[in-house]
Amino acid sequence: MTFKKLKQAAPHLVLLPYILIVLYPLWFVILASMKNNTEIFNDPWGLPAALSLQNYRDALTNSYIGHYFANSLFIGVTATLSTLFLSMTIAYAVTRMRFPVLSKAVYGLLLISLLIPPASLLIPLYTLVKDLGMYNTPMALIFPYISFGIPLTVFVLAAFLKSIPNELEEAGVMDGLSTFGILGRIIMPLTQPTLVTVFILNFINNWNEFVMANLFLSNEKLRTLPVAIVAFADKFNMNYGAMTAAIAISIIPVIIIFAILQKQIIEGVTAGSVKG
Amino acid sequence: MAPYILARESWWITHMKNIQRNYWAYVIFVVPALLIYVTFYLYPLFQSLQYSLTKWNGINDPVFVGLSNFAKAISDEQFWVSFKNNIYFVLFSVFIQVPFIVFISIIVSSAKRFLNFYKLTVFLPCILSTASIGVIWQFIYSPDAGLLNQLLTAVGLESWKRIWLGDEATAFLSILLTNGWQWTGFYIVLVLAAIFAIPKEMLEAGEMDGATGWRKAWLLTIPLIRPVIMVTLLLSITGAMKALDIILIMTKGGPFGSSEVMASYMYKQAYTINDFGYANAIAVIVSLFTAVLSLIFQYINVKTREASE
Amino acid sequence: MNKKMVFMLVSLLVLMSVLAGCGSSNSTAESNGSKANQSTNTSGENKSEAEPFEVVLRHIHIRDTAKQTLAILQDAVKATEADVPGLKISLDGVEDAVNRDVKLKAEMAAGNQPPIFSLFGGADTENYSKAGRLLPLNDILTELGIQDSFFDLREFTVDGKIYGLPESGYIEGFFYNKKLFEQVGASVPATWDELVDAMEKLKAGGITPIAMGAGSGDGWVINMLANSMFVALGGPELQEGFATGAAKWTDPAVVEAFKRIEFLVQHQYIDPNVLGLKFPQGQANFYTGKAAMLFDGSWAVNAITGESSTVKDDAGFFRFPDVGGKGDGYINGGWSNGYGFSAAVNERELQAVKAFIKNFFSMENQKRTLVETSQIASMKGITDIQGANDLIKTIGEAQGSAKGAFPAFDSVVQPQVKVALETNMQQLLGGKVTPEQAAENMQKVQDEANAASN
Repeated sequence: MTFKKLKQAAPHLVLLPYILIVLYPLWFVILASMKNNTEIFNDPWGLPAALSLQNYRDALTNSYIGHYFANSLFIGVTATLSTLFLSMTIAYAVTRMRFPVLSKAVYGLLLISLLIPPASLLIPLYTLVKDLGMYNTPMALIFPYISFGIPLTVFVLAAFLKSIPNELEEAGVMDGLSTFGILGRIIMPLTQPTLVTVFILNFINNWNEFVMANLFLSNEKLRTLPVAIVAFADKFNMNYGAMTAAIAISIIPVIIIFAILQKQIIEGVTAGSVKG
Repeated sequence: MAPYILARESWWITHMKNIQRNYWAYVIFVVPALLIYVTFYLYPLFQSLQYSLTKWNGINDPVFVGLSNFAKAISDEQFWVSFKNNIYFVLFSVFIQVPFIVFISIIVSSAKRFLNFYKLTVFLPCILSTASIGVIWQFIYSPDAGLLNQLLTAVGLESWKRIWLGDEATAFLSILLTNGWQWTGFYIVLVLAAIFAIPKEMLEAGEMDGATGWRKAWLLTIPLIRPVIMVTLLLSITGAMKALDIILIMTKGGPFGSSEVMASYMYKQAYTINDFGYANAIAVIVSLFTAVLSLIFQYINVKTREASE
Repeated sequence: MNKKMVFMLVSLLVLMSVLAGCGSSNSTAESNGSKANQSTNTSGENKSEAEPFEVVLRHIHIRDTAKQTLAILQDAVKATEADVPGLKISLDGVEDAVNRDVKLKAEMAAGNQPPIFSLFGGADTENYSKAGRLLPLNDILTELGIQDSFFDLREFTVDGKIYGLPESGYIEGFFYNKKLFEQVGASVPATWDELVDAMEKLKAGGITPIAMGAGSGDGWVINMLANSMFVALGGPELQEGFATGAAKWTDPAVVEAFKRIEFLVQHQYIDPNVLGLKFPQGQANFYTGKAAMLFDGSWAVNAITGESSTVKDDAGFFRFPDVGGKGDGYINGGWSNGYGFSAAVNERELQAVKAFIKNFFSMENQKRTLVETSQIASMKGITDIQGANDLIKTIGEAQGSAKGAFPAFDSVVQPQVKVALETNMQQLLGGKVTPEQAAENMQKVQDEANAASN
């Protein structure tokens, strides 16, 4: 092997162990989901003795996993889109409109949030959600998710908006656009890559959220996927086969969506943040 | 000619001003979002402050007790354990995770082939829910049949075997690693994008000056992607202060509270011990502490930027 | 750039979520529809009936191992729905610790607890009743004629009022694997020395003597053993004295109990992996034949005789051996988990509650509880126990032959004391404290708790 070839292979050799560490746990889940319990304990590494889908049958019977998936998706997307819309308007107002004092106050108000882990608001939030009649409805999660998403989204968007040169807006004004027109026709299209970034950021957060989803929804059918998975772990106790099957069921659709859209998702994550 | 241009210019400055000082538009843009934010973020925060001054079991009426909950925290050893763990969490993120992220990103960026494959795989863990990840990694760390111990046996490192989540020395570290496993890929993708966004001419100019390999990375790439590294740092610091679900799912703070962080300790005080007053006091302390950390971060950020410019 | 793709991505996600939203709204529409159908049916048959209404019933029987318990509940629910026209009971299953520590607690704080819910006796019942959330049941029980049918309602009684009804009872003790005992020539121990002897033989034979999973949030598992130990040494009245100051954790009986736990740890009689395992994993080590004994409550019978068990026919039970203390012969047991009812029920919901009590707390169900789910009945008078498995019969005998029963210590101390014992016992298991230190730590927490509640 020539020196040049070795040099080309070097990065791959370094990356290989890391990739293995990333992939192995997922591979293990798929393997284990096709084994029975004894097999998992006695031979966790090997391939399943026979290709059995019994665990999947067990996990699917008496469970509403389709429901949970739909719930997670509905809550995640609704909250994320609302966050984006509300944050966009606020970021525009704060960075591009000339109310310096007011804007500083608004920005300061939002900054407070960076300092507070949402978990610490759990207890009063519960009472609030209940008082507003949202307990045990998807709204109980959508509104907190929106409000927890707004600050960071505003910061990322504001950072980007600041970098847009004034001339573009001036051109818009020349063309006779109103404030709303400038936002809709000029700023929004420019911001699109950043919007995708924050969409993904927020969506992943909402999709993963466990603590509030566990507390604010009581009806079994309203549960979101993360809550369902922990409930599965309890339900199947030591039945690792059924448990890993349940996990597999919950992650496979996400992985498929990701595999199809990976280019967009990854570009979305990266496009805006480089500037931010 | 000249007066005409001036007049035109002043017209448009006023017009531009009108557009940018459209009071109603401002209100429409700001108020709805702020309303939700204030109701679901600041109001609970305010309530949390109130409750932190009370003795309250979560059911009966709260009784005002002044600052005694805060005094309790100061003399509570278990609280300090969780406080220290938060610090470890932050230090781990800043000094181990972020450098690792930058290192891997630079290596990936130097790979000529499989670039998309790497991006795809490293990103995978962060689309999974923490709940699934917690459950999967519990199995990996499990003492008898756990993959990690099995692996150590297989490669002849029997003596390294541990009860990973049951041993004070390793429980919290194990959680940190799992958390790292989940989030590293996300940041790698961020940093990678920044690396690829560096204009080619700048790198080529650097190479002409004799900067290659790690020298190039250190002298050129890293300074150029400094902003994104700062974003990564800030996100991992606030992430470290927010962590709660991974702890609840993996160890519930055990064994004997050694893997507790402030947020999980708060959760325990509220929901296991019924001491909602104390729990809210801890919530307030977490907020204050995060505030201090962020300020320190900002200070360092500004200082180092000045130095590098 | 790839604006098109971005647009497609976003619109696809939006589309999916809209579909998801439609899906869920469809299903609610369907269920509304079916409700409407029901109401037309019932009004067709019985004209005097009012509109349909729904009552939520929160239960904790969600585990695979609790299938039979759930079946009994479901049957009672059906019967109740038949009794009360228009009633639809919706079952809401939640994991027990989540319900007890988080959900029910939060609902109680906010006052929106479901009409019927799983409730623990002791401190929980006392707190909730003081806040006026629980429905007093004395009149209903008299009306149904079952006021004297229960073995023991003390844990659910506050100031003479009954606020909950136990579903079943429990006792705690050692389950053991007969085959493994035989294999090493150990006999069923009746005293501490015999227990030590048996454990030594097991260990010598390469068998883990005691299976236990007390890691993570499951410190309560080691608490059970410690509880039986300090009561055996100090007598049942010892633990009643902690909260009043009449007894101290630094008393010799408690310190000696902690020493014996330490002894079990140091000789590796308790599975050395104990802190890395959760409660069900510890249980599994026993019922898959990996360890010879398990200290657990009678609720474990379900798992031990369940599908995944390999020791179904070899499992036996003996009560905590005599240690030469004041509490010898007493057994930790009681009737502490069952159902409570919301004080905020309206007229019709109250009707549903009454019907549920009538249908669920029946002799028939009590017998099924014993025979089908292998749990100890909570009501007196079962004569025919045909079909019950041998293990629960043995447990019944152990219960019958005991001098008396004492409740779990956490029902007589403050919650922070319970958590402190979990922490200290885990530390003892991990070799981080000495028994003396653990006792002092405990007393410190107890003092603080007592000072705060006075």
